[in-house]
Amino acid sequence: MVSVLTIPLIAIFVIVAILLLFRPNSGLFLRWRNVRRKAKQILLEDALKHLFHKENANGEPSIQSVSKALQLSEDKALLLVSIILDEDLAVWEGNKLRLTASGRLAALKTLRAHRLWERYLADKTGFSEDEWHARADRAEHILSASDADALSAQLSHPTYDPHGDPIPSASGEMAKLHAIPLTTADIHQSFEIVHLEDEPPAIYAQLVAAELYPGMKLEISERTQQQVRFWTNGDEHHLPTHVAGNIYVLPFPDKRTARDIPKLRLADLKPGQRGKVVALSPACRGLERRRMMDLGILPGTVIRAEFVSAGGDPVAYRIREALIALRQEQARLITIQPLEEKNDS
Amino acid sequence: MEKEKTLTPSELLTMAEDLRWQIGGNIHEHLVEGIYTDASRIADRVVTGERPKFDLDRAIDRLVTSRVWGIPIMILLFTLVFWITISGANIPSDFLASILIGKIYPAIKEIAFSIGTPWWLVGILIDGMYLSTAWVISVMLPPMAIFFPLFTLLEDFGYLPRVAFNLDNLFKKSGAHGKQALSMMMGFGCNAAGVIATRIIDSPRERLIAIITNNFALCNGRWPTMILLAVIFIGALVPAHLAGMISALAVVSVTLLGVLITFVMNWLLSRSILRGEASAFSLELPPYRPPRILQTIYTSLIDRTAYVLWRAVVFAMPAGAAIWLVANLTIGDLSLAEHIINLLNPVAVLIGLNGVILFAYMLAIPANEIVIPTVLMLTVLTAGVQGAGAGVLYELDSQAGTFELLTLGGWSLLTAVNTMLFTLAHNPCSTTIYTIYKETGSVKWTAIATLLPLGVGVGLTFGLTQVWRLVEAWL
Repeated sequence: MVSVLTIPLIAIFVIVAILLLFRPNSGLFLRWRNVRRKAKQILLEDALKHLFHKENANGEPSIQSVSKALQLSEDKALLLVSIILDEDLAVWEGNKLRLTASGRLAALKTLRAHRLWERYLADKTGFSEDEWHARADRAEHILSASDADALSAQLSHPTYDPHGDPIPSASGEMAKLHAIPLTTADIHQSFEIVHLEDEPPAIYAQLVAAELYPGMKLEISERTQQQVRFWTNGDEHHLPTHVAGNIYVLPFPDKRTARDIPKLRLADLKPGQRGKVVALSPACRGLERRRMMDLGILPGTVIRAEFVSAGGDPVAYRIREALIALRQEQARLITIQPLEEKNDS
Repeated sequence: MEKEKTLTPSELLTMAEDLRWQIGGNIHEHLVEGIYTDASRIADRVVTGERPKFDLDRAIDRLVTSRVWGIPIMILLFTLVFWITISGANIPSDFLASILIGKIYPAIKEIAFSIGTPWWLVGILIDGMYLSTAWVISVMLPPMAIFFPLFTLLEDFGYLPRVAFNLDNLFKKSGAHGKQALSMMMGFGCNAAGVIATRIIDSPRERLIAIITNNFALCNGRWPTMILLAVIFIGALVPAHLAGMISALAVVSVTLLGVLITFVMNWLLSRSILRGEASAFSLELPPYRPPRILQTIYTSLIDRTAYVLWRAVVFAMPAGAAIWLVANLTIGDLSLAEHIINLLNPVAVLIGLNGVILFAYMLAIPANEIVIPTVLMLTVLTAGVQGAGAGVLYELDSQAGTFELLTLGGWSLLTAVNTMLFTLAHNPCSTTIYTIYKETGSVKWTAIATLLPLGVGVGLTFGLTQVWRLVEAWL
């Protein structure tokens, strides 16, 4: 029986292999050629993005800096820069490379795709913070300008990415950030975190681990050469200077300081206790935040813990006369102010 | 009248752009906050009244969610539901079978022959299509007509959300939603209904998890296969007075294995392919209500029972025709079925089954209820003994007779255990696959939900077979 089956099986195998390799539109051969073409495009876009950032940071963009940022040999970087110059995307100005108007627009297009994609990941998907940047780095080269416009419309035209960076508009306009790094901010003043630098990833991971998010209020209590101590929502943090330098803040005029904001979370309530919502943590975002707001969990809402599940975790809360079960980690995202216990049971 | 300065569209757009930057990111939040503030101000002004001193709902909640009584009460209630279903379904099932298969089947066959219908047309229409449809209806309808209304009553009363509340911690650890407990329970009745029941999970990621793993809940179409095999192969291993208990234990173990696989798959899925799906937990515990019994029975019969039954019938009819045809079309001196069985045999042996079983599972994709009748018919066909005829589904009255026939077909204890495992984990029936497609609207998730259980089943049976043979050789 084996001999009868062998020949048709081999024939089928060969036909499938040929189809896989040379299928029109999606055959492996065509894909391989597309990948080669795409790789060049990606390098070009990355180089433009680098020139843009370097220029904004008052640095000196050069072939060396391109080679370093993109991890290319200097020969390859030279080749890349010559393409950029040929296509009039940048010009030499002394020993600095300067983007032309069209080069700037191309860089902003990539940046727009990147930040929109991060916003999308934060609001619409379940990927965690530490994955956003790497995923957006890939998506920025795939999204066309019209894809980006469609995405922007779908997200109802966001203005900032989840790290607090402004998203360039379709025409290439972008708000300027006036924020200052935490390392130069005044002590004992109230500030609001407006931006967390997401590069390098190792430092960003520390900021995420410290549960810091744009929109948080903070107050610096002490600053030395090595570290910065500060308060956010009733928690005291101390971070090394090189980490704190990646936090950007703006003065926030508020009579209450970050130290006075109560530390109590909804999760801390015992059954029978009541509390008034002060704030929803910025860590609660996207679908989850939307759901909480739909349920009426907003500043000012009075919530009463009712009873704990047999499994020990979700706790039933009375929110606006409805009985809603929330998990421990969700209830930890809601800051509350305890209320006098009302004897009604 | 003073003429206002009109803006050109482009000026208007620029202005809107500027305003957008000034407003900042959380305009929507401020809006929602404003709406709620207004609403609660109005409510405070017009709603009066105090909460009663004794709150019956809270008293029930304290009991059914207590750490001591919560889980025992749940187990008791569900055991009761399953017991009523299984013991109550036998009588109408036998009744339906005696009418549809015992009386109508020979009668219409006689009529067909008497008006001169060719034998092959009678074969396709009556032995094939009618008989398999009648089989599916008589086995499937009664348990569903009992299980679904009972389940819906518990739901209507408000108890089921409390079950999800109690079990959520367990499901959370595997990356799933507590409400999956309910879609799983529904899956024990019918996987297609279980997949529909996942609609109560409003978080996209957890809902997909529940849909993909629902097939690991042993549905009522597969219970009879399990029970039959456990009784005639495993129960037979021990002295007669223990047989009942041991075979029941075997069925329960396989069912619990299904639950275990569900948790493992939940965990794997939520950390691999479903990681990127959005997730948001929320669970409302509605007030208890006296169940509206008549309405519940009506809606659960229409929404659940009728839907599933109709789908099953639609798929069972062509399958019946196919079963009859493969058994009666011959190439050379063997029937098409025997050719396919011979082709499948080498693969089937690897996973400790045989070609007949594997082919029966392919033919029985429309309804798991007909697996055993198909296996028996195919065994008769290949072993060349006296049965009901090629392509005619049938079951033997005595368990001893079934055991004898299967042993003749080459079954061993290993084959029986593997068949039980494969029954637990293989592709869902066509009704369920169709429902998954309707619910997810995605070919990708439908393919994953179909192939994942099949892969698990092949893996389980392959692993067990290899280990078994090693141990056998060593002994």
